[in-house]
Amino acid sequence: MEEKKLTRGQQEVREKVISLGLCTGCGACINLCPYFRSHRGKTSILFPCTVENGRCFAFCPKIEVDLDNLSLSIFDQPYDGNALGRYRSIFTAKAGEKIKSFEAQAGGTVSSLVYYALTKGYISGAVLTDRRGLEPIPRYVTNAEDVFSCSQSKYTAAPTLAVVNEVVEKGEVNIGVVGTPCQILALAQMKTREKPYPISLSIGLFCTWAIDFRLFEPFISRWIQASHIRKVDIPPPPAEILQIFTSQGEKIEIPLSEIRPLVPKGCAYCMDMTSEFSDISVGVLEGRPDMNTLIVRTERGQKLVDEAIKEGYLIVSDMPKENLEHLLWAAGNKKQRALKRASDENLINCESLSYLRLKGELLNQLTQ
Amino acid sequence: MSHLLDPKAGATYLLMGNEAIVRGALEAGVNVASGYPGTPSSEIIENLSRIAKERNIYVEWSVNEKVALEVAAAASFAGLRSLCAMKQNGVNVASDFLLHLVYSGTRGGIVLVSCDDPGALSSVNEGESRYFARQLEMPLLEPGNFQEAKDMTKWAFELSEQLKQIVMLRSVTRMSHASGNVSYGALPETKRKAEFKFKGFILDPEEGIITSAPVEWRHKEQQDKIRKAKEIFEESPFNTYEGPDKPELLIITSSACYLYSKEAVEVLNVQDRVGILKLGTTWPLPPKLVTHYLARTEQVMIVEEVIPFMEENVKVLAAEKAGEIGAKKFFGKNEGVLPSVGEMNPDFVISAISSILGIDYSPVSKEYDQSAKLSAFVHAPARDQVFCPGCPHRASFFAIRRAIELDGRNGFVCGDIGCYTMAVRPTGFETLKTVHSMGSGMGLASGFGKLGLFGMDQPTFAVCGDSTFYHAVIPALINAVHNKSNVTLVILDNGGTAMTGFQPHPGQDFNVMGESMPAIDMARICEAIGARVEKRNPLDLEDTLHTLLEMMEDKNGVKVLILSQYCALSPQRRGKKDYELSVDETVCLGEECGCGRFCTRIFRCPGLVWNKEKAKAEIDQVICVGCGVCADICPRGAIKRKEVA
Repeated sequence: MEEKKLTRGQQEVREKVISLGLCTGCGACINLCPYFRSHRGKTSILFPCTVENGRCFAFCPKIEVDLDNLSLSIFDQPYDGNALGRYRSIFTAKAGEKIKSFEAQAGGTVSSLVYYALTKGYISGAVLTDRRGLEPIPRYVTNAEDVFSCSQSKYTAAPTLAVVNEVVEKGEVNIGVVGTPCQILALAQMKTREKPYPISLSIGLFCTWAIDFRLFEPFISRWIQASHIRKVDIPPPPAEILQIFTSQGEKIEIPLSEIRPLVPKGCAYCMDMTSEFSDISVGVLEGRPDMNTLIVRTERGQKLVDEAIKEGYLIVSDMPKENLEHLLWAAGNKKQRALKRASDENLINCESLSYLRLKGELLNQLTQ
Repeated sequence: MSHLLDPKAGATYLLMGNEAIVRGALEAGVNVASGYPGTPSSEIIENLSRIAKERNIYVEWSVNEKVALEVAAAASFAGLRSLCAMKQNGVNVASDFLLHLVYSGTRGGIVLVSCDDPGALSSVNEGESRYFARQLEMPLLEPGNFQEAKDMTKWAFELSEQLKQIVMLRSVTRMSHASGNVSYGALPETKRKAEFKFKGFILDPEEGIITSAPVEWRHKEQQDKIRKAKEIFEESPFNTYEGPDKPELLIITSSACYLYSKEAVEVLNVQDRVGILKLGTTWPLPPKLVTHYLARTEQVMIVEEVIPFMEENVKVLAAEKAGEIGAKKFFGKNEGVLPSVGEMNPDFVISAISSILGIDYSPVSKEYDQSAKLSAFVHAPARDQVFCPGCPHRASFFAIRRAIELDGRNGFVCGDIGCYTMAVRPTGFETLKTVHSMGSGMGLASGFGKLGLFGMDQPTFAVCGDSTFYHAVIPALINAVHNKSNVTLVILDNGGTAMTGFQPHPGQDFNVMGESMPAIDMARICEAIGARVEKRNPLDLEDTLHTLLEMMEDKNGVKVLILSQYCALSPQRRGKKDYELSVDETVCLGEECGCGRFCTRIFRCPGLVWNKEKAKAEIDQVICVGCGVCADICPRGAIKRKEVA
């Protein structure tokens, strides 16, 4: 039988990611070439490309992601399926006294760490996500003071990595990135390729799912004009609501059951809640809206956190046992659901192109 | 002095068919000529316009064919001689007026010249204008060579005045655009004065009012004219016969097919077996003449292009006369001997005669034929239809196509008639999804834009050219605005009727005779109709793209985007380079990831060339017009542009 020539380019991304609805619009394929573009939160292919080994394919977090390879490159350890991924330590955290007061989502940990990294020169710039109305707008920030304008969760899927591609193309080095799990996964692939991206710090966010901006905007317009939104929040369970704080000081609450239909299909296949391939991951802390959960994964992350604490930019304390247990339960749940769904739909370890690759034994164990 | 104005009778010139028609009109003393540009007819009005002042002729490009015919008819009503020229589908546009004109009758000689395009060499149809002659009951003449094109045109004016009826003269691409020797007749001194007389008796054809009513009375008058035409045609020198007295096979043919038939008979050397009856007066058929030749044979083949018009007419006549002349065996389209689509050529006629007469003829051996075909298929470079170097349409469609893909709702564009029709092909990024007649893009879009009721949420665009806008888009735009259809019209304004050779249109401040004229502002028309109007330069790709994206989000009715930029070949642009372009080979990515030959594989301006050896792009400096757009599409900025002082 004639062997089919395996190509790993645009056509495969179109067929195995975009057409199947797996794309979350992370931006990993944007700004590499004239073919992929993001517009209002959606990734489009403008013209057909015939390059056989494309970076679009290499970076995409939804096609041929080899978890063992990635884990080995980043942690020197194979992928073990831990609900929270590989990590060195876990804390509760919030901004330290050196950080001026700003409107944070919770404890302000992410903004504080980025601010600190920029101020101390650990990174020369950070790719963050700002917003205009409800539309998430990725930005490259080099002035530490600008970090705070990008604070707060966006909840809408954003093409943040498009800006990473852009600044790397321009020759920037020592780049810091804050992203969601899908973005951090793609970023890990960017960092571990033959010609690695000069990423000096990756801060991952916790994420259960994002909201499709194109659906969210008309949906929200039933209550409020997007430009009047000050903050959006989804408090930890069992609240089951999305809260919108307006610039007039009002609070609108929408049941999550109405929001879930606005989630991109691709999020349902994501097995990562805590950005497992980051240097540092940050999320909410149940029961403490003024604090964050902080997971330190790499040596580089550890060093930054230690120094930020020492210099008064970050305050940490031990993670209460019940919080950790609940986080493990939630993250494990997401992982199991996603892997089961992907496995049932024959998207894992198949002969042809797969979404994920991991050890079969481990897959069985995780999906039981 | 134009060679068309040589006053010497007997002078001989090599003329293109359309020039021969012009000379015929001049010899007839034509006073008024109108038309709408369309290949293969355009040279008639163009040639007349160049000598209009010397001959005191009024010539205009009208807004569309219907108005052109009305303008020509007005001259006839005022006692002048007039000519109206258009391509085949133009007759469809004019046909509503024409239906009424044939009832009312005419005064001064008026000739409708339709140049048909069998094989659709320059059309999106191979429509037949001949059927209008039968359906609307008016005389039809078809020249069979270039001399006849001149002589028949002159005679058509006389016939029209004799019958007080419009006469249709039909040419085809190979008659209009090929050339042959034409011997001139004299040029008359014409001193006709225009006056419209209407105070006579209501039914007086010379001095009464001119209208199609009372219908039955007028219709009978009209049919009497056709009966008279038959009698005249029986004696016409334009109907000729050559061949044996009693041919084994009688070919009945007309127009360019006469030349193909003659060639076929000569190639097969069957002059003593096959007779050719060439008809110049093809509707109504002269019954006695045709019967005379039918009676002398048992086998008849009708050679004509596309639909079997003459074949049907001859068969009806043969059936009527079967009692006298006996039943004949017919060969033509219906018998499958000749094709009923595409152009005719001598080869088709040769194989038809061969099969009927049992002649074993093949011009080349089968092996040679096969290997030649294979060789052509394998080795001939693929040549798709492409926009010219620096064509602003390429930039426009680059923006439209990207806007549609970015929007991601499966939007589409309804196309129209012009160079931009080629945007169904890769040169326009396969952007157009419908193409029909002039103005139909906007009409279709108007309809699509109302289908939200049935769940359709695909953004809908129409595109049209500037000339097309005036020709037929305005009513469709009114319809869309009035019915609150949610669509966007993009007017690709390249400053003239570019495809047919830059004929002026009402949007320009000059006419075909070079006189200063008031320009009709299309933006103000659109605004007055109630559309939101924006104007952009399509060569500014990003500005155009963002405007389109923003317009797609605007759900408040009809939007019009006018993309204005002169055609790269236009008189205004020709030869002028805004930029010198060059490729920095050290920056060009070529086939690598990040480009994948974007400029030569996707953007595909012919000015961009792929150098296989170097695996880099290059600029073809000979054909590059220096528009500079490619510098903006290169993903690496490898294409450098330097302003030309």
